[in-house]
Amino acid sequence: MAERVTYVRTNKIDRYACALMLVGLMLIGCRRVTDFGPVANPAAAVKVREALLGEAGSGEEGAAVATGTGWASLKGTFIFDGTPPEMEPYNVNKDQAACTINGKAPLQQTLLVDSATKGIANVAVFVRKVSRVHESAEPEGGQVLFDQKQCVFLSHVFPFVLGNTMDIKNSDPVGHNTNIEGKNSFNQTIPVGETIAFKPQKEEAVPVSVRCSIHPWMLAYFLPRENGYVAITSEDGSFEIANLPAGEDLEFQVWHESAAGPGKSLILDSPEAKELKWSKKGRFKIKLDEDEVKELNLNVPSSAFGL
Amino acid sequence: MNYGLRSICFLGSLVVMGATGCDFRAPEFHLNMVQMVSDATPTPVEYQEQIANVLGGMFGDPDEPFALPETGLDIRRLKMAAGPAWTDQKGAAFGLYRQHCSHCHGIDGDGMGPTALFLNPYPRDYRQGVYKFKSTYNPAKPTDEDLHRVLVNGIPGSAMPSFSLLPSAEVEALVEYVKYLSFRGQMETALTNYVYNDLGEEEVTDENGDPVLDDEGEPVTKLIPLDPENDPEQQEVIKELLAEIVDGWNEANEQIIVPAEDAIPTDVSDMKKFAESAAKGRELFYGTRANCMKCHGPTGLGDGQQDDYDIWNKAHLQFLESVAEDPGEGEIAQDRTEVAESLFPVRNAIPRNLRKGIYRGGNRRIDLFWRIYAGIAGSPMPGSGPASPGAQGTLTEEEMWNIVDYVLSLPYENASQPQRALPINTELVN
Repeated sequence: MAERVTYVRTNKIDRYACALMLVGLMLIGCRRVTDFGPVANPAAAVKVREALLGEAGSGEEGAAVATGTGWASLKGTFIFDGTPPEMEPYNVNKDQAACTINGKAPLQQTLLVDSATKGIANVAVFVRKVSRVHESAEPEGGQVLFDQKQCVFLSHVFPFVLGNTMDIKNSDPVGHNTNIEGKNSFNQTIPVGETIAFKPQKEEAVPVSVRCSIHPWMLAYFLPRENGYVAITSEDGSFEIANLPAGEDLEFQVWHESAAGPGKSLILDSPEAKELKWSKKGRFKIKLDEDEVKELNLNVPSSAFGL
Repeated sequence: MNYGLRSICFLGSLVVMGATGCDFRAPEFHLNMVQMVSDATPTPVEYQEQIANVLGGMFGDPDEPFALPETGLDIRRLKMAAGPAWTDQKGAAFGLYRQHCSHCHGIDGDGMGPTALFLNPYPRDYRQGVYKFKSTYNPAKPTDEDLHRVLVNGIPGSAMPSFSLLPSAEVEALVEYVKYLSFRGQMETALTNYVYNDLGEEEVTDENGDPVLDDEGEPVTKLIPLDPENDPEQQEVIKELLAEIVDGWNEANEQIIVPAEDAIPTDVSDMKKFAESAAKGRELFYGTRANCMKCHGPTGLGDGQQDDYDIWNKAHLQFLESVAEDPGEGEIAQDRTEVAESLFPVRNAIPRNLRKGIYRGGNRRIDLFWRIYAGIAGSPMPGSGPASPGAQGTLTEEEMWNIVDYVLSLPYENASQPQRALPINTELVN
């Protein structure tokens, strides 16, 4: 008898619990957790629609107005201020024989600092918009080699001028595929020892990643631009961009793959950077005189890399 | 009536009230918050609101869709697909997207509908405008016919069912609506990039054009608003951004991969020739030119390279890693954490097990040819044909057809070459 009562009670509690859980589930379940962030204001949306349905008012907007004449150069160095991090080896978990050197995996290249000069390699410096382009910065319509060996892309940050052709080469005894992200989206197998030509068509605002799906540790960056006003710092941290249009405001973007700014932009806060109006998007402004060779020597604190 | 039963009735009615009451608002389009609070394009709340308004102007809302004439989208079809599900007196169906699609693909087409979490693979997020199963070159958009085919056939091996029982007008309305959601999503990305790259903070100046300084001597800044209503230059930019997206879709028909007749090597009904072609395909499959084996594995089970991600999961993974590393400060940290918590667990892109004979993009020879030729957009699968019309391919068309034939014969090939059973040992028997 006692047993039976206990049985009924337990059952009732179970039912309550079930019902409560159901209510809870219904209340929580019917609201989608991803529904946050602002939604359109109907009145504002209608106004935008009317504006976009009407004839565009201004007609031809002039591009950047050419204000100066002649050409000038910008060069400089990025020097690391602090203790540079040690690079870890790549996690080589496939094709060990071809992808290691004497059994050792190659080191990563996420932040390369020259031991002698403390120069930072692979910083990308490029002009955002220009009104005039010198013929030396126009594409030559030639072929540019993009090679890979020991399962490492040989150009870690690869600048590219649209109009040229990229020769994607595989110098390894194992097959690769080259997967370029972004607007040019390319993903093709590159057989052993062969070269595949690729003609990118679209400019990118910042470098995009290049990977190999077969060897996922492989990583490089690709920066296609409409003109040759783009430089990648060499091992000693130096760069030079020649034949820039003089006499107009130039805005440069500075990027490094390990930089802590938005979109991997490099943000500097030093007095010389302030003079250049260095922004929180890693951009600085400069106006060059005709035939001027401007030199920038920039100290980069480790905090710019979030270290 | 006993007490327990009454309580259950009471609670039951609460459940019904809860279920009906709390879902009464008309659904609205939301922004891609991963993009808004990402590292690459951090977007202040003011801009988020302005982007939502511009998108609202350009595309309307889930109940009242709209498309600018230059999109070329058919408003009549969009209206059939949008809104709540109902049928008019003549039996014409409306609200098709909400009836058939949104529970998986979501109101925004973000692939995060209520059932999405329980599916593997996750439903497609349309907002990038990237589709896997199509007849065009890798970076090109799908044709209407490609989307139509996926709707009618479904995707074998996934949760995507066939809608072949719907009248073709309804399927066409849904194709149009899927494109509409892609246009809207791509436009959102374009606007976010535009706002980040070209708008943003500017220094406030006084009447003489000198910068206004705050108490600490720093220049005062304000955000340049995204306000196409009052800024004709922004209007132009928005129209250009839209035109670029629309052109991409309109070009799809010129980007269809049409195999050369003379490259198709075999008549599949000829067993001997088919076997010859498959044998050549086998050599390529395991060789270092086509490299199929590297990912699909030494026995075609899809157990080779499994560490990579598709673009949708990769975007979420990168966002989650950046939040784990540095959530940000104050409200931004709160937003970023909230967005990170709303995402589904990230999954690797697992290469297809080719021994099952299940082909997601269709099992005709041409379907497999397209996959091998162009790769699979958005996934790690690379193409072996030219990347665009006239470009340099890795394999010849004939070689790609050989691989097609081998892949089609793979499910019937022994996974290993077991030693043949020995003849019965006569000595032992005797």
